[in-house]
Amino acid sequence: MGLTYHPPHISWLEVDIPGAPEPAFHLAPKTVRHVESILRYCSEKDLVVQVWGGGNHSGFGSPVQPDFVMSMERMNEVERWEADDLTIVAGAGARIETVEAMIAERNQSLALPERPGTATIGGVVAAGVSGLRRGRLYGTRERVLEVTMVTGDGRLVRSGGRVVKNVTGYDLHRLAVGAFGSLGVIVSVCLKLWPTPPGTATVTVSDLHQAAAVVRPLAVLEVDGTLQVFLQGTESEVEAQAERLGGKANPGHEWPDDPDGAWKWSLRVPPALTGHAAGHLPGEWPYVAVHGVGEIRAASADPEGAMELRSWAESVGGHLVMAEGDPKLFDPWGTPPPGLALQKRLITEFDPRRILNPGRLPGGI
Amino acid sequence: MSLVTDLRAVLGDEDVMEEPVELHLFSKDASLMRGQPTCVVFPADAAEVAEVVRIAEAHGVPIVARGAGTGLAGGASPTSGGIVVVTTAMNEVEIDVENRTAWVGAGVINLDLSKQTLPFGLHFAPDPSSQSACTIGGNVANNSGGPHCLAEGSTTSHVLGMEVVLAQGEIAVMGGQAPDTPGLDVKGAIVGSEGTLGVVTRVLVRLLPVEPDVRTLLMSFDSVEDAARTVSDTIAAGLVPAALEMMDRRMCEVVENWLQAGLPIESEAILLSEVVGESDGVTSQASVIAEIARRNKATDVEIAETPEHRALLWKARKSAFGAIAQLATDYYLHDAVVPRTRLVETMKAVYAIADKYGLTMANVFHAGDGNLHPLIAFDANDEETNRIVHQAGDEIVAACLRVGGALSGEHGIGVEKRDLMRHNFTELDLDAQARLKEVFDPAGVFNPRKVLPQGSRCFDFGGVRREIPDGAWV
Repeated sequence: MGLTYHPPHISWLEVDIPGAPEPAFHLAPKTVRHVESILRYCSEKDLVVQVWGGGNHSGFGSPVQPDFVMSMERMNEVERWEADDLTIVAGAGARIETVEAMIAERNQSLALPERPGTATIGGVVAAGVSGLRRGRLYGTRERVLEVTMVTGDGRLVRSGGRVVKNVTGYDLHRLAVGAFGSLGVIVSVCLKLWPTPPGTATVTVSDLHQAAAVVRPLAVLEVDGTLQVFLQGTESEVEAQAERLGGKANPGHEWPDDPDGAWKWSLRVPPALTGHAAGHLPGEWPYVAVHGVGEIRAASADPEGAMELRSWAESVGGHLVMAEGDPKLFDPWGTPPPGLALQKRLITEFDPRRILNPGRLPGGI
Repeated sequence: MSLVTDLRAVLGDEDVMEEPVELHLFSKDASLMRGQPTCVVFPADAAEVAEVVRIAEAHGVPIVARGAGTGLAGGASPTSGGIVVVTTAMNEVEIDVENRTAWVGAGVINLDLSKQTLPFGLHFAPDPSSQSACTIGGNVANNSGGPHCLAEGSTTSHVLGMEVVLAQGEIAVMGGQAPDTPGLDVKGAIVGSEGTLGVVTRVLVRLLPVEPDVRTLLMSFDSVEDAARTVSDTIAAGLVPAALEMMDRRMCEVVENWLQAGLPIESEAILLSEVVGESDGVTSQASVIAEIARRNKATDVEIAETPEHRALLWKARKSAFGAIAQLATDYYLHDAVVPRTRLVETMKAVYAIADKYGLTMANVFHAGDGNLHPLIAFDANDEETNRIVHQAGDEIVAACLRVGGALSGEHGIGVEKRDLMRHNFTELDLDAQARLKEVFDPAGVFNPRKVLPQGSRCFDFGGVRREIPDGAWV
């Protein structure tokens, strides 16, 4: 089972990663050089590596039986924050919460998940998950300007650049978003930031028709049946918008937590079906639905009804993805997307020995 | 059978051209790079493109996809010969108002798409200056931008899915209306790949609601530095206007001479800025920008009072490249991009390079996202001038890269900047990109010898096999 030896020369990088698979060897590299060396070594010895950020997205996909769990927690520095340029370069292990607190000084935001917990920038990019403001501020894949990663066989590869607009070369960095580290271990990321304007308000409304009084709100969220419009702009603008919406206005934004339960779900449907999808959830599943986007986050005590929900989602061109649960009882991804052979060939070019999170992606690749 | 015979058997006689005059017409895009195609074809759909791909592979000839040919980097010039696949016959638009998306044929003209969606209160955000001619397929190939991508991002942010013909004529449909398709975001790698990975035939685009109100500001300055500082200060103040464009004095003169748009030709630089949103928001944002401009010694701040005035100002901005024809027969244009905080020093360096070589240079650029367009007017028939212009161009690029910039913000690499890629990327970066290309196009039929310089693939990297002595690596 697992690792049969204890490599003595890396024992000083050993850490305890709560929640990470056992009996794998847990380690945390401090530098890019460490990552390169570890991955070369693992490729040579065919040792499987699971990359670990804050552990928030470890429930996505088929489980990996790793020999090593590589935590990025020590590569967590903000290398460069160009506040006047609205860009930031941070180590993959930088926690979103920490970075947000830092850049809030200048009224800026990553606009990544609003309730990140221990989530890291690298983890969110690798998992390809986005914040609730994505309908207005765009999703994670649209906001990544540069990714530096170490491929499975230990090559340091950078794609994109530290400028807000760039078409130089192929967008490998976009491939890395949502790839769960299968192409390489993300070591640092450059992101476009958004300014946070002074005016904020949240207005509870009764239906989508009422919500439509504002053309492009920051977000329209439905939390367990309650519909809220999140506003942001200059103070007078927000005031006028709140008035037009006519509901109960509260200053500021109280972002909902992701629904909690033993099983967690990410339901993705065409945007116009968001409300309909929330209505399709079995039983009393708690949920947060992002209107205008087509993303519904839900939780449940068991997978009962999930199969029917998935069938419906796939019939309308969507997906039901299991974000946490027992993959032995329920297939985490559902029907794999077309073009798996191409995806597999791509991964093989970056991770020839297939040591990085093997089998975790849809189709078991 | 001959290539043309095979193609005609599939596409019919009319949709395969091989007359010299036709071949000449499709021998280049809007760059200075010319090639010699064997024939030009006009497929009607993905199935026909797939046949063309199979025939090209069987004959071992390249395929160069082409929309309107407005590209500026030689991406659609058939520099290695072969078949030019013109996408203009694939021009259907299928709008889904509820979901704010549309399936759009690759040959649909950018502006036509927004015209068709306008009655539903929707528009396609990317708006390159060539939008009245360029196609969506070309926009996808180049990940095109435009003045209004400052707030909304380039084409890649607006492509939700695509139908693409890959190697061996395989037709693949990727992405969809639902967000976050599980698995690798392969379409994300295809956007901006300049037709080197396959031929995109249909695109599922995101449409945005037309904003209820808009303010367009025209600001004049006595120095380019003051204008550039206004740009930096605007961004630093936490404003992301819909557009923030700069034109220098030379460019204003040329445009004004051509169009009489009322641009202040006595100013050293002008800024054109636009804010969109609801009335309250645009009024307050416009006044903040005007205040920043005045603080940076703006000599005049004017707000367009009517839709006609606004349209005229934008026409002036977007006509810049056309107007430059008055100065000389040819122009050479770079589109390097720099961090916005480095705009002032970069502009100084760019002017110094033009002065050093005594070149006629005009500047019009997307200042808000640091995307420069220094434009050198010259006579390409003079060999010495040609050499000097290219030398100056390389120095401008080097100056941009020195401050942390990149080679191209929106025009693409094509042939023009291909050999400069080594200045932007390491050998391993380029090798990784070359591997991507190989996976998609093992036979090398799709737009060969573009984007990546020769020898990008370094076969000698032995990462896996190299033995590392124990203990030596940490």
